[in-house]
Amino acid sequence: MSTQDKVTINKLPTGVPGLDEIVGGGLPEFSFNIIAGAPGSGKTTLAHQFVFANASLERPALYFTVLGESAIKMLRYQQQYTFFDPAKLPGSIRFINLSQVVLEKDLGAVLEEITKEVEKANPSVVVVDSFRTMVRKPNSDMDLQSFIQRLALFLASWQATTFLIGEYAEDELRDNPIFTVADGLFWLRQTAERNSIVRKLQIIKMRGQDSVPGLHTFRITDAGVQAFSRTFGLTARKRNPPSNRRLCFGIPELDKMLDGGVREGDSVLIAGSSGTGKSVLATQFIAEGISHGEPGIVAVFEERPEAYAERATSLGLDLETPQKDGKLTILYLRPLDLSVDETMQSILDAVENIGAKRLVIDSLAGFEMALSPGFRADFRESLYRMIFALTGIGVTILSTVEVDESFTEFPFSTYSISFLCDDILRLRYVSIDEGHSRV
Amino acid sequence: MKAASEMRDLANRLIAYEGGAGNGSEPMGSPTLRVYEKLRQSLGEFVGVAGFQSLATRALTLARPEAPSLSAALVTADGALKGLGKTENRFDNGSDLAGEGGVILIARLLGLLRIFIGEALTLSLLRNAWPGEVFDDRNSENGRKA
Repeated sequence: MSTQDKVTINKLPTGVPGLDEIVGGGLPEFSFNIIAGAPGSGKTTLAHQFVFANASLERPALYFTVLGESAIKMLRYQQQYTFFDPAKLPGSIRFINLSQVVLEKDLGAVLEEITKEVEKANPSVVVVDSFRTMVRKPNSDMDLQSFIQRLALFLASWQATTFLIGEYAEDELRDNPIFTVADGLFWLRQTAERNSIVRKLQIIKMRGQDSVPGLHTFRITDAGVQAFSRTFGLTARKRNPPSNRRLCFGIPELDKMLDGGVREGDSVLIAGSSGTGKSVLATQFIAEGISHGEPGIVAVFEERPEAYAERATSLGLDLETPQKDGKLTILYLRPLDLSVDETMQSILDAVENIGAKRLVIDSLAGFEMALSPGFRADFRESLYRMIFALTGIGVTILSTVEVDESFTEFPFSTYSISFLCDDILRLRYVSIDEGHSRV
Repeated sequence: MKAASEMRDLANRLIAYEGGAGNGSEPMGSPTLRVYEKLRQSLGEFVGVAGFQSLATRALTLARPEAPSLSAALVTADGALKGLGKTENRFDNGSDLAGEGGVILIARLLGLLRIFIGEALTLSLLRNAWPGEVFDDRNSENGRKA
């Protein structure tokens, strides 16, 4: 069958930053999806974001609440999120409580009630929150699988995109016949790692399109759920062809040694012990770029942006003006529970905002410390993904790393990440005529 | 603590609207009861019968100290309101058998909604049950924005 003969599946925005890319460009229209996860994992918030992004007066959303969180409290809490638009209620988004039907009747009656409301409202989106509570109802004439099967058939025929929300533990995923009915299966989890909470989501199944496999971190902020794709949202972007252009430091002798500077799109490591001038060199690299009209980003983990800029001023480098002019962004990334993917998203957003060509990460040790303990174990792999993604879009990265000095060894990095670098600049102290110098 | 004046104003406007729209001589034709029933229907849809019953019972408990006429009133298990106006019957033309007690009860119910889901969402839900002109500032007793 040729491409033009195939049916086009429209993709709906999920309303969750980062999630469209993860599910393969958006949620397939008329799909029947299940959001599963433990309590507090963000299932309801995710469903609300989808509802608010897609509901309209012409094709409203029906949000059926069953047993569980009361609708009034759900609205009380959910309206705290910035995506929540009260003007959409109740015209575009209708909340319908089914608890009485569930308590007093059986699943057949629940299906009948949903059918009646759907036929009346002609919704584009239907959510049942939480369908799992109905499983626990004994002596029902209809079992849950049959209920889900019939609900899926009915809602697809009525051209509704559906989310069923259910509390499921990890081990319930396997061999669960209910999940076979779903076109899409979203799995949300949150785990405690040392003192940090790490949230991850997985698209276990997405019929009709390629989703990005693996576990993706996500965060819940006052804007709702924000997902961070493992591929950093760059799957659809072409890698820039290798460039022969050289980016100089503005230090004539060093630039000469580097044959004019580092090659555009390279990953450069500046290694040296404390006080050898790694940060100074990195700052000069950024300042020189700005003087040539190349916007830059400095990601700092060990000090505040103000302190970083002040130190540059004491060296005669002005980082204040380019920040005001939108040529420089100094990112201070909230330490201690970050994922690399979140860090990466912040950097990518900054790259996009100012069209950055040069990026300084000062330092890798600080970056590692800023990560949640669970992510530190994967630091090398994460760095690999990050550097590959950034250099692929033409950003030249300069990372600083501290190494221990000794008389017997000359290490380049404590991380064994030399394979991630195209160039290494090693700074060290030498003893000349009973004095110390830097080389 | 008395029902907030904004909520009393809003309750009065809803009751006045229903007074103009219905027949006040029948028991269910009481404007206050009609307002209550509309609230029961529209709120019950999303909070459920039990959810509405809890809210209404709480509202009645809060309203009673302000309005002795509500002493005989009760909210049944299905959320219906019984006994309203038993001690304060006024079937004069154009008046409400529920009287001031009914206004306070409705104001308390609206006040609870505002506490839980905020003013914007409360008004959104009310606008679904009543036409926009009821919420027009020009119809406000004290000119306060509803």
